[in-house]
Amino acid sequence: MPPLITFTNATLGYGNHVILRGITFAVEAGEYFGLVGPNGAGKTTIVRAILGSLRPLSGSVKVARPDGLPVRFGYVPQRDTVDYVLPYTAREVVMMGRYRHIGLIRRPGAADREAVSRSIAHVGMEAMADRPFKDLSGGQKQRTLIARALACDPDLLVLDEPTNGMDLASRIAILDLVRELHREGSLTVLLVSHLLDDVANHVHRLAVVEREVFSVGPVDEVLTGENLSAIYNMPVEVQRVHGRTIIITGGGNGSR
Amino acid sequence: MGAADIIRTIVQEFPLALYGSILVGIVCAFLGVYIVARRVVFLGAVLTQVSVMGLALTFLPFFPVPHTVGSLGITLVTVVIISRLLTGKKIPRDGVLGVVFITSIASRILILQKAQRVEVAEIENLLRGDILFVTPELFVLMVVAFVVAMVLHLLFFKEFTYTSFDPETAQTQGFNAAGWDLAFYLIAAVVIAFATHMVGDLFVFGFLVVPPVTAMLLTRNVKAIFILSVVIGALAPIAGLFLAFVIDVPASPAIVAVATVVMGGAWLWSVIPSRRPR
Repeated sequence: MPPLITFTNATLGYGNHVILRGITFAVEAGEYFGLVGPNGAGKTTIVRAILGSLRPLSGSVKVARPDGLPVRFGYVPQRDTVDYVLPYTAREVVMMGRYRHIGLIRRPGAADREAVSRSIAHVGMEAMADRPFKDLSGGQKQRTLIARALACDPDLLVLDEPTNGMDLASRIAILDLVRELHREGSLTVLLVSHLLDDVANHVHRLAVVEREVFSVGPVDEVLTGENLSAIYNMPVEVQRVHGRTIIITGGGNGSR
Repeated sequence: MGAADIIRTIVQEFPLALYGSILVGIVCAFLGVYIVARRVVFLGAVLTQVSVMGLALTFLPFFPVPHTVGSLGITLVTVVIISRLLTGKKIPRDGVLGVVFITSIASRILILQKAQRVEVAEIENLLRGDILFVTPELFVLMVVAFVVAMVLHLLFFKEFTYTSFDPETAQTQGFNAAGWDLAFYLIAAVVIAFATHMVGDLFVFGFLVVPPVTAMLLTRNVKAIFILSVVIGALAPIAGLFLAFVIDVPASPAIVAVATVVMGGAWLWSVIPSRRPR
C-alpha cells in the first residue's frame, strides 16, 4: 500500500530563504508519527507542506490516500493561534469541523449535530460543551480542538504542539487521549512537538528536525544518546526506565 | 415643538435621512462584529478616511467621475492593495494601516486646498456628517449595498465566521481563507464607501465599533451579539436624530453620542457582578 505522506528530496522554504534541504521520508496510513525539534527548526514548515499551504522549492511532497482521493485533514493548531474575541461555545467550535461536509449556503443538519456530539463525547468534553471556548482551561481547549478535528472524519490527524504550556497532568491526559484515538480508529497521527519526551513515548517512528539535520526512523534508532548529542550539539543521554524513554541533557547531571 | 411634532418632522421632511441612517446603522453594526472580532478596528477607520479621500478626489477637475464612483473605486483598490500588504511580513499590520490612514488624510487636506471654495464647503459638509440631505440616488445605492452585503453574509455565515475565527485550520479543510478574507473586505469597502458618502465618516466608523462592543458587553452568545449589535445599530440613529432636533446639534455626532451612551450603560450593567453575562 502506498504511503499517505511522501517527501522525496524536498527542499522547503519561503521565497529565496531555504529552511530545510533535501528531505526524504514517508508516513504510512495508520502510523503514529512524531516530528520533533527545537522551536524554529522547521517543524511548522514541514506541516505546512503536508497541509498543502506551502509548495516545495524543489523535490516533491505527495499527500494522498491509497485510493488516490485527497486526504481529509484533521488539523489541531496551536491553541494560541485561535482567536478568542467572540464567545463561541465549545460545541460551536467543534461544529466548524463539519462546515466542509455541510457545504456552501446549507445549514448544519441533524447528522452534523450528531457527529459533533459524538466527537465531543470522544474527547470527554460533554460537561463543558456549552461553555465559551475562551473560558476553558488549556487542556479543555485542546480537547475541543481535537474534537473539531475528529468531527470532519479525518484520514490524518495533525497536532501542532498540543501540550505546549500545559501542566504535567494535562499533558499526559492529552497524549493518552491521542494514543487512544489512534488505537481505536487506526487513524494516521502526526504529532509535532519540541518536547522530545512527549513524542518518544507515544509514536511509532519519528523525525528529528534541527538546522541542517533531518534524522528519521523508529524511536529506538533515532533517539540514541549519540544521535541526539550530535543533533543538539550538547551531551544527551537516553535511558529506558520501566519501558519509558527518558531524555537527560547536560551530561547526565540530572537536569532534564 | 413637542416630541410628536419632532418625530413627524423627521419622518415627513427627512425620510431618507431617517431610513438611510437606520440602514447604515444596521449594516455597519453587523460588519462591525467581524471587524472588532478580527481585531482590525483601525482598518475601519482607515477605510472611512480612504473613502472620504476618494470622494474629495472627484472634486478635482482632472478626476471627472461621479462622487460615488470615485469614492467606491478608490476604496476598493485600497482594499485589494492593503489585503496584499497585510499578509506580508516586512511591515507590521498597524504600520501598513497607519501609512494608508495618514496618506488619506493628508491627500484630502491638499485636495481641499485646490478645490473651488463652494466645493470645499460641500466636502466639509460630508466630513461633518450632515446626513439630513441624502439624495434619492445615493439612498438607492445604499439600499442595494445593504441588501447585497446582508444577503451574502447570511448565505455564507459559516464561511465568514470560520475564516475569521481560525483561518489556518479553515484553510486545511479546503476553505480559501485569503479569498474569504478579501471577499469580506471588498463587501465592507462597498458598504463603507456608500455609507461614508451618505452619512459621514464619524457615523460609519462609530457604528463599525460601538454597537458590536456594546453587544459583546451584554451577551456571551455569538448569534445574540450579531442580533443585539444590529438592533442597537437600527435604534440609535432614530434616537440620535431626535436628539439632534431637540438640542439643535449636527445629526451624526448626536447619533454616535447616543450609541456611546448606550455602550456606557452596557458597560455599567456588565460590571455589576450578578448581571455579568454568563
